[in-house]
Amino acid sequence: MSDPGQSQPQSDDQTHFGFKTVGKQQKATMVAEVFHSVAAKYDVMNDLMSMGIHRLWKRFTIDCSGVRPGQKVLDLAGGTGDLAAKFSRLVGKDGQVVLADINNAMLRVGRDKLRDKGILGNVDYVQANAECLPFPDNHFDLITIAFGLRNVTDKDAALASMLRVLKPGGRLLVLEFSKPEFDALSKVYDLYSFHLLPKMGKLVANDSESYQYLAESIRMHPDQETLKAMMENAGFEQVTYHNMTGGIVALHRGFKF
Amino acid sequence: MPAPQLLTGGIEMAINNLLSLDPDSPQRLLPLNGKRLQVKLHELPWPLTFAFSQRVDVLADEQQADCTIVLSIATLKKMQDISQLSYLIQQQELSLNGDMHTAQSFSNLVKDLNIDWEEQLSRYTGDVIAHQSFRTARQLHHRLTAKLQRLGDILKDVAMDEKQLAAHPLAVEDFSEQVNDLRSDVARFEARLLQLEQRPKQRKGK
Repeated sequence: MSDPGQSQPQSDDQTHFGFKTVGKQQKATMVAEVFHSVAAKYDVMNDLMSMGIHRLWKRFTIDCSGVRPGQKVLDLAGGTGDLAAKFSRLVGKDGQVVLADINNAMLRVGRDKLRDKGILGNVDYVQANAECLPFPDNHFDLITIAFGLRNVTDKDAALASMLRVLKPGGRLLVLEFSKPEFDALSKVYDLYSFHLLPKMGKLVANDSESYQYLAESIRMHPDQETLKAMMENAGFEQVTYHNMTGGIVALHRGFKF
Repeated sequence: MPAPQLLTGGIEMAINNLLSLDPDSPQRLLPLNGKRLQVKLHELPWPLTFAFSQRVDVLADEQQADCTIVLSIATLKKMQDISQLSYLIQQQELSLNGDMHTAQSFSNLVKDLNIDWEEQLSRYTGDVIAHQSFRTARQLHHRLTAKLQRLGDILKDVAMDEKQLAAHPLAVEDFSEQVNDLRSDVARFEARLLQLEQRPKQRKGK
């Protein structure tokens, strides 16, 4: 996946921010700015951009979670709490759901949304960096990260951190944009995400740059096989992935034994 | 597009919207809190799992549930009458594993759903229009039912009495009785004949 506008990191201290190359220290701040900017309109934009299909991708993730009453779930980069709301009901009063996000604005929107829905008691809110999770070893039965991994600066460190806090027998589900399976779809998707998406962002959220970053960050994210290899390198076992909507989105699943 | 999730999403939305229209449904959901009911329909390649809390979540997962029911869509309709459960199991139209109480509570939840549709409409149109609309609809329903009943009676009279295309129920009953009598006579005659046929053979044997 290459684009004439994109540049490559020249050293270990550099990383991608969309198609730009920035210092690793800078990226977290820049991503934070993007999400501060879009937090209030995040749900509306998600529905608009995906034509509501993101709800089906998330439902599929929940169906693959195998979550049981009494279990502990970490919804990482949980944003506005779509997955956490459902997990909260599925684990019941004896279970626990931790909604974690590095971005305070997103976490606040998620917390308000869940409380407005009457979801209280078994959900905790933690502002945390996925690269160094502030939880004990072998603590969670399930970790999900939906549309969050591509924004993490050091993905390998984040996967290692997730493995550490996951219980033996637990599973990690990574729902993320990926590489379309067909060339024709890829072209249509490029047209949509580079031309239409920023305009929609400008119109609805008055912010085209954040949605330009969104399109670019999707292209820079590892494809299905690369992410699978990264999860295996981190120590996850039985790693598989399932393409959805022609590979626009993929769900990766890995276990810790 | 994930088809199972589209279906489960639709079912979930429909159930929860209906439950929200009945003020007594939270009370009836209480005995099901924390339970899971899995329904495996012959017509669907994946199971439907109903997870109960303060609302109903519908999943398309294979996990073990408190109660699992295997049946077809046709049997689903018969299950509205909970007293038919044992009969359906005996007829092997339905297979039920696990806690039967979960299935019964879910059946009651759906069966006892009591929605005041007039009240629901009045939220959008006001009381007067909602009341008038429902009164007109009820009158229309009564009139249509009565007209259909009368039309049926007329057609019955024409077919049986005027055109004699169909037999009267009493004539059919009488004919059936005569056929039964004839069947009994033939059976008796057959038995007698068999007896007479065997008699010479017994004499020869002596």
